[in-house]
Amino acid sequence: MAKRIEDQFAADTELLGLKLLSGQESSLLAAYGALREMVKTMGADYPFEAEPAHVFLPLGAAEHRS
Amino acid sequence: MTASDLCFLTVAEAASLIAAKQLSPVELTHAYLNRIESLNGTLHAYVRILHDEAITAAEKAAAEIATGHYRGPLHGIPIALKDIYDTAGVPTEGGSKICLDRVPTSDATTTRLLKEAGAILLGKLTTWEFAIGGPAFDTPFPPARNPWNTDRDPAGSSSGSGAAVAAGLCAAAMGSDTGGSIRWPAAWCGLAGLKPTYGRVSRAGIMPLSFSLDHAGPLTWTVQDAAIVLQAIAGYDPRDPASADLPVPDYRAALAPAELKGVRLAVARSIFERDCVASDETRAACDAAGEVLRGLGASVTEIELPPLALYNAAAYLIARSEGFAVHEKSLRERPQDYGALARDRLMIGAYIRASDMVQAMRQRRILIEATTTAMNGIDAILLPTTPDPAPPLGELDAYFSGERPPYMRPFNLTGQPALSLCNGFDRAGLPLSLQIVGRCFDEATLLRIGYAYERATSWRDRRPPVR
Repeated sequence: MAKRIEDQFAADTELLGLKLLSGQESSLLAAYGALREMVKTMGADYPFEAEPAHVFLPLGAAEHRS
Repeated sequence: MTASDLCFLTVAEAASLIAAKQLSPVELTHAYLNRIESLNGTLHAYVRILHDEAITAAEKAAAEIATGHYRGPLHGIPIALKDIYDTAGVPTEGGSKICLDRVPTSDATTTRLLKEAGAILLGKLTTWEFAIGGPAFDTPFPPARNPWNTDRDPAGSSSGSGAAVAAGLCAAAMGSDTGGSIRWPAAWCGLAGLKPTYGRVSRAGIMPLSFSLDHAGPLTWTVQDAAIVLQAIAGYDPRDPASADLPVPDYRAALAPAELKGVRLAVARSIFERDCVASDETRAACDAAGEVLRGLGASVTEIELPPLALYNAAAYLIARSEGFAVHEKSLRERPQDYGALARDRLMIGAYIRASDMVQAMRQRRILIEATTTAMNGIDAILLPTTPDPAPPLGELDAYFSGERPPYMRPFNLTGQPALSLCNGFDRAGLPLSLQIVGRCFDEATLLRIGYAYERATSWRDRRPPVR
């Protein structure tokens, strides 16, 4: 049976060692719900060889550019 | 010309008068300082006013110009910086209790370049806390208000930058843009806001939020003014590891052609009519802008981009992951010193798994390639910047859950340059927006299109009612 989102949130919070302030749990839970939707939208069904975007240049690349 | 008139000169107009020795930087600076004194209590655009320093710098500029040492179109022009730009010897607090009384020992690269161009720094501008947490009512800094209607949100996170330029409290301002924070306040405050290509303008010395999405750029009254500021700040900087070592064109020269014959534009209708339907007035204004640009000689077709939700999800996961990494130590040790919005928006990044972040970066590459392919044969994309004009202050979706996402994040993800322009006004007199998105490192074409559009419309004739 799938865990309720509140339970998943509580388990993740404990695992991460985050200490929430009084009253923060409900607001962060709302954000957590939005985050789970974003993760679902992103999915994990990518071709095996799909390479991520690389933003940063290799070290020293700047010196070699004209 | 009255002191108030001076505050509504464009950078280009003021520069012409200063170069011709018909206007003193000292007189101009005093005019802005007086206007700030009279309006900042209402607008909360500035968090710090550098009165004496500005006068001293203006006197120095005046002396240099008087002796024939004119540096260029920013010499003697009063500007201001979002309070995440480091300023040597002047507090840079990021809108947060976490950084109260933090005094950098050196300037951000952009701060230095603007000073070297002769600009006068009037002060530091209100920002959402660490460029993410706002509008907030529980930090030491009250939120900025929109000069078009002070009950409305000026947008963020460069909220003070938008409010200050629109209200005539500085001639130009610098903002930062991780998910739209230059273009968003430009849209809701009726300005030109330019997010340059990733790598075009240094971020060194600007408080980071998301390393791979952060951009620095100007907010100005006109596109011509944006070109002037960009000219001063663009270029390679070894202090920024993402800085691009590419030639910087002459942006003002690129403005020269009055018509747009040969320019190929495409409207991204799928974004604002399918993925997140813009208000009727916003859509009508975008269509009307297309007609104006067609009348100037551009071809205007349509382009279909990947779903907005995909861009937004990838950008969200990357931004939140990187944001949490930046703030993890402080969030664990001093969570009570963050405002509630910044705390939650940053802390949520802890819950993103490493593999989710990698999937987002994989999707990012797919989206970059899809966007590049869709732009084949097109010079620039047209779409609104936001689906709606400014709402009442405090009514923004606290968690950016995506119900009515603005149309800016895709181009933080792709790194393309994007320019937001004023595109008329709604029935309530609030600015509507147009966003022009170009190819990487082709800011010149965006500026050319935006400049031609501004000159063909009357939107720059109207100023906010705040007095």
